[in-house]
Amino acid sequence: MKYAKVYADDVNVGQELPALVKGPIQQIQLTRYAGASGDFNPIHQDDEFAKAAGMGGVFGHGMLTMGFVAQAVTDWAGAGRVTKIGVRFQGLVRLNDVITCTGRVLGKSSKDGTHLVDLELWAENQKGEKIVTGKATVALPSREG
Amino acid sequence: MPIQINTSLKGKEFAPYTVTVERGRIKDFARAIGDLNPFYLDDRVAAASEFGDVIAPPTFPITFRDEHADTAAFLKELGTDISRILHGEQEFELHRPIRAGETFVCRPKVSDIYEKSGKSGAMAFVVRETAVTDREGELVATLRGVTVIRL
Repeated sequence: MKYAKVYADDVNVGQELPALVKGPIQQIQLTRYAGASGDFNPIHQDDEFAKAAGMGGVFGHGMLTMGFVAQAVTDWAGAGRVTKIGVRFQGLVRLNDVITCTGRVLGKSSKDGTHLVDLELWAENQKGEKIVTGKATVALPSREG
Repeated sequence: MPIQINTSLKGKEFAPYTVTVERGRIKDFARAIGDLNPFYLDDRVAAASEFGDVIAPPTFPITFRDEHADTAAFLKELGTDISRILHGEQEFELHRPIRAGETFVCRPKVSDIYEKSGKSGAMAFVVRETAVTDREGELVATLRGVTVIRL
């Protein structure tokens, strides 16, 4: 099923995306993401720095969680199909957290042969707390071509 | 004693800078997220695809940093430092897929600065937008990020 081609014709409003489960989050992943993204804020690496900053300890990059959420979309819609994705960061990801990302189809539209699907997205931790909420739009192929 | 944010930086445009999308960087970025999509990681699968080469994950443009920009200096000019900032929101508009090997020009600006009081106290919000264009001058992506400063 993963990476299967999704056609706009087969998408229904209200349909949920398959959930993507990430974690437990380890420090090494935050370090790796720092290197790959270029975000070396010590608040994601150095527990003492994060405590002194009043954050109670190290937490994950918001952009890493957004990357998880984007993967939930591309696992379903395919790579290269996202035309817009936006999120609000609402909670912190702590070490050992397990993050579940999913979404729901909000609407469909077609214009000039482009078939767009609007999605609502969210990620929550193992306690059910919302970590991010957001929206995305994907351009999908149609069976008529 | 709450800090004072320099709201006169609203509208500030930063110097444009060039980025080249490195194949290895796409792969490192995808692997760091744990996203093993073959269109990001497998040169042969990607070459045979409609894209013709490895493409970047949707959030990859966050790596389009100005190597010469001094982030600490900008935060100081704003009146804050790295220990007070949080990422509030992020949005990417992607007009087409981004392929390995492409070179883009990025033009960042501060589009808004405002203050609000919430349940965690007074906060300032700094909105930055970056327009990414290709060699033909076509808009490829727009990034919009909101940085939250705890006052």
